[in-house]
Amino acid sequence: MAEIVAERYTGASIKRSEDPRILTGAGRYVDDIKLPGMLHAAFVRSPLAHGLVLSVDVSAAQVLPGVVAVLTGADLEAMTVPGPDPLMALLGWAGPTPEFTLLATDKVRFMGDPVAIVIAESRYLAEDGCELVEVDYDDLPPVVDAAFALDPSSPPLFANLGDNIARPHSRHEFGDVAGTFAQADRVVDVHIDVHRHQNVPMEGRGCVASWDAGRAAMTVYAATQSVHITRTGVATRLGIEPDQVRVLAGDIGGSFGLKIGASREELAVAAASRHLGRPVKWVEDRGENLIASGQAREESFDVRAAVSHEGDLRALDVKTVIDTGAYPGMGMGAMVPDIMEAMLPGPYQLAALGFESTAVITNKATYVAYRGPWASETFVRERVLNLVAKDLGLDPVEIRRRNIAARTDPPASMITGRPLVGVTSKESLDRVAQLLDFPAFRRRQVEARAQGRYLGIGVATFIEAAPGPRGPDGALGSESMRLRLEEDGIVALFTGQMPHGQSHQTTLAQIAADEFGVPFEQVRVVVGDSAVVPFGLTGGSRSATMTGGVTLHGARELKAKVLDFAASLMEVSAQDLLITDGNVWVRGDPASAIAVSEVARRAASGQFGADVDAALEVEATFDGGQGGWSGGTHGAIVEVDAETGLVTVERYVAVEDCGALINPAVVEGQIRGGVAQGIGAVLLERSAYGEDGSFQSATFMDYLMPTTCDIPRIEIEHLETVPLDADVNFRGVGEGGMIVAPPTVVNAIEDALSPFGVRIYEQHLPPARILELIAAADPG
Amino acid sequence: MADITLRVNGATREGSPEVRKTLADFLREDLDLTGTHVGCEHGVCGACTVILDGRAVRSCLMLAVQAAGREVTTIEGLATDGGLGPLQQAMWDSHSFQCGFCTPGFVMQATAFLADHPDAGEQQIREALSGNICRCTGYQSIIDGVLLAAERSRDIDREG
Amino acid sequence: MKLPPVEYEAPTTVAGAIDLLAEQLDEASVLAGGQSLIPLLALRLARPALLIDINGLDELSGVSVTDGRVAIGAMTREYVASESEVVADAVPLLAAALPLIGHEAIRSRGTIGGSLAHADPAAELPAVARALDAEFVVRGPSGMRVIPAAQWFEGYLTTARRSDELLIEVRFPAAKRGTGVSFAEVARRHGDFAIVGLAVSLVLSGEVISDARLAFAGVSDVPVRATAAEDLLVGERPSPELFDEAARRATDDLDPPADLHGSSDYRKTVAAAIVRRGLRAAADNARERQ
Repeated sequence: MAEIVAERYTGASIKRSEDPRILTGAGRYVDDIKLPGMLHAAFVRSPLAHGLVLSVDVSAAQVLPGVVAVLTGADLEAMTVPGPDPLMALLGWAGPTPEFTLLATDKVRFMGDPVAIVIAESRYLAEDGCELVEVDYDDLPPVVDAAFALDPSSPPLFANLGDNIARPHSRHEFGDVAGTFAQADRVVDVHIDVHRHQNVPMEGRGCVASWDAGRAAMTVYAATQSVHITRTGVATRLGIEPDQVRVLAGDIGGSFGLKIGASREELAVAAASRHLGRPVKWVEDRGENLIASGQAREESFDVRAAVSHEGDLRALDVKTVIDTGAYPGMGMGAMVPDIMEAMLPGPYQLAALGFESTAVITNKATYVAYRGPWASETFVRERVLNLVAKDLGLDPVEIRRRNIAARTDPPASMITGRPLVGVTSKESLDRVAQLLDFPAFRRRQVEARAQGRYLGIGVATFIEAAPGPRGPDGALGSESMRLRLEEDGIVALFTGQMPHGQSHQTTLAQIAADEFGVPFEQVRVVVGDSAVVPFGLTGGSRSATMTGGVTLHGARELKAKVLDFAASLMEVSAQDLLITDGNVWVRGDPASAIAVSEVARRAASGQFGADVDAALEVEATFDGGQGGWSGGTHGAIVEVDAETGLVTVERYVAVEDCGALINPAVVEGQIRGGVAQGIGAVLLERSAYGEDGSFQSATFMDYLMPTTCDIPRIEIEHLETVPLDADVNFRGVGEGGMIVAPPTVVNAIEDALSPFGVRIYEQHLPPARILELIAAADPG
Repeated sequence: MADITLRVNGATREGSPEVRKTLADFLREDLDLTGTHVGCEHGVCGACTVILDGRAVRSCLMLAVQAAGREVTTIEGLATDGGLGPLQQAMWDSHSFQCGFCTPGFVMQATAFLADHPDAGEQQIREALSGNICRCTGYQSIIDGVLLAAERSRDIDREG
Repeated sequence: MKLPPVEYEAPTTVAGAIDLLAEQLDEASVLAGGQSLIPLLALRLARPALLIDINGLDELSGVSVTDGRVAIGAMTREYVASESEVVADAVPLLAAALPLIGHEAIRSRGTIGGSLAHADPAAELPAVARALDAEFVVRGPSGMRVIPAAQWFEGYLTTARRSDELLIEVRFPAAKRGTGVSFAEVARRHGDFAIVGLAVSLVLSGEVISDARLAFAGVSDVPVRATAAEDLLVGERPSPELFDEAARRATDDLDPPADLHGSSDYRKTVAAAIVRRGLRAAADNARERQ
């Protein structure tokens, strides 16, 4: 391990370098971009869930003063090249591939499906123009639920598929499923539904596309989780080379999985810019974001659990149907079952697992990735444990203690294959139980019930592959970074990470500053330019390990190079040199110190011959080291008002293990934000469709977001983690809160309502539903 | 179109917006003050909050022409000498924000609220900010920033 | 979600505003606080040809007391009304309801008159006005009219104001001695519209209820007075059993609307709970104020 003289930054809640601009309104988001000659786009969107497009008449729109062009789906087909969504191509989707045009041509497949693009001098005028486009539709029967989509008689949304199956039924078994069930003391059989809800970043999707006809070059100012994937999407669709496309991203107002790749609208905007030879901006408004950007989590589960009388969870057999909406090729819904299956055992010791899945196509917005896309596996598992515990008269903490795999050496493996190395689930569960003080709570609960108040307590445990352990086939992928000592002494990190709230410009600088030996302010993290940064993607809770690791190792490599150069400058041996506080000096001789900036200046001066390597730059890659799990246990105390159904989260605790913390405040912010989304999903948020496929939660009056009065103080403790790697023990934390908060809260609500005999098999519990559950339950 | 003159961040500004243009869009497009953000355009999310004649208002729910002759403060107008004001500093110290999109609205709403309620406690602050939506933070760090600013301001008053 | 093209006038006198209304009739919308109207325009659900901005009509702002009635100018901002000592003292039910309206920034611009002229049945102020039998003073080309609350609210977002009339002020009776009030509501989140809300004003003379006024928000297309419950309460002493029975009578005939936030049955169930809680709180408030 290389010598670090002063580890000042890593592990401390260093103030963010992003904040001075964020706090003063100097951030640069896509809608802040203003280019000379820039036009504005708006989309004509289908009011129907399913229909044939008989005709599109743009004549009135075209002559509206201020409208510059109106392009229909047919116009765009003529000027673009069909191709797969770049993310789906990257992920290697090999299943059914629906064929569709960039904007709708012959058919519309969900309410909000874009049919034409109007480009005008202002967004106001573009919307005026949209109202003048006359589209003649013929209604088709809508496919609005999975049951109908599975029915071969449902009208196929895509002619080339012939049915509404996005992912054909498959079944996998691990261990002896039939045998384990046959020998079980009890089999619990339940159906669990997770409802449709969505990402809702505060900034919607959008881009400014600017075609330079003279150079045949496209510049896209994007809001994206990967400038390179967006670049691929734009280049493919426009039929040009990737190096003719430059994607730039500044500040991004959140994404949570939504802004990956290139949406149909963004591609249409790019095509429009090339067609017109002028920059075109499109930023979706909140209506578009809610109706059309994509939604997630609409999944149903038939679950069988094989248990012993004492509460051993021996096997699970799960059958899931995922509603991927229309245009599944644009989102990863059909791929989610694979991750669900792999993660379903969690930290528990199962003897067998059966998992079967189907994904269906419906006339709804596309199922997109939403923070922890596989999260429902944790919901199902943690609900089933509580339901089983209830059946057997066991305590929810006890049943988990009983089933969590013990930490052994070598580690136990999940029945689906991955080793549970370094998993601290038992410790986190014990600590949550301690923090919540179950016995004291139970006494309080009894007293409260006597007064007609219903308090409940719930816990849930999860693990997350952030990035996951290195196991036998444990490829973790790799992460690249270019590190360069700039002429002025700045250590520049060029990364494909695309932060949209994750604070990488701070956290990566912390690691580099420590490793290299310069003050935090002397490191600059460069992101958001496809011409300058290596390939990367921010997502999947990978950056802490992968990018933290490549930063650490890359900084070491760069430092070694700089020391070699400095050694020739100072005519000493590199082993005798240190870098601390931005100075290079000979060990034991402080007077020898030369500023790193001076060393950089000398290197850039061009004075050196071929025998001296003065190119102070390295290209580093990192394969994840030993990787590792993140995970933890969350606990909640809630109060349910049994007369109104309103739920208050009185207390929420999270005991998490995400390895070594780079910046505790950043980690805690990620946890709290994820938990807030989970609470929102249970109590407030639903992407609602009517029976005719009309979308009903198209404003913030109907799609309800949690506010300051809905999210309590969240108490967070970090576990001393099990180090797995000699150097890189940072693990991801971005998705965990959203994965485990829903079952935590639902478990607590069910506990609160147990005097009524309520059992909960769903995730969305608005007040009206709570009262329905109470009315329908049998207390006996 | 209407010709309007108004005061923005202490300076006299002019413009000729369409009458239907919102104050939010006018600030962002006509005056190039892009710090004020647009999050919903129907008055729920609070990202567009500015201070008009001393009161926090949702600039997406006002027409630009209605601000004629008024005094508007946007987030760009809070920093003194190009630095950070005390609330902004406290929020920086508290790691209040992540993606930053909701930030201007929160800062302006909290500024207006603290001016009238310098001794507010946590519950009051939560209620006062319940009309601003943040998707990233779960709010606790924002509340902490406001509480810290209030506490520091009381310390200064005590010392002074 | 940009506003559609629209004309705009900002009259400087009430007479000027009325002239414009008389000319445009249903083609014009009055722009007061804008907190309800602008979103409708942004969503392109409302398409007036003309916006008549009355924010310049200073004479329409203000709170005054005459003859045992509190007159609140239609353009009085909600935050001004909520800070008014006159309102706190003489119209405590209004003071109780105002903090529940939306959020601070909404109340900075929203007006008493604007909310009541918009007449959203799920809003707080219509229920308050209905409970207190407020009077609505409108002026048109043919002069002034005073319309009692019972006739003001005609239907969903529809009032007795004619297209050529402007709401000038709203008059509330000053609270009698012994008054206790509450505004109870069930909302999905703090500041949201009520799924069901209830404005309650009781007068306790000694320990006996001598006056009872209950008006629901969110149970119909207009605010609804619970007259059967009121009749039951007058002359009785507060008690849980009395309030239970009042809740039954108040909700028996309700047929509330259903929407994403609650079914009709849900609203009816919750309405009963709100009646019990609202009456308890108003009775407590009466004792505190004594």
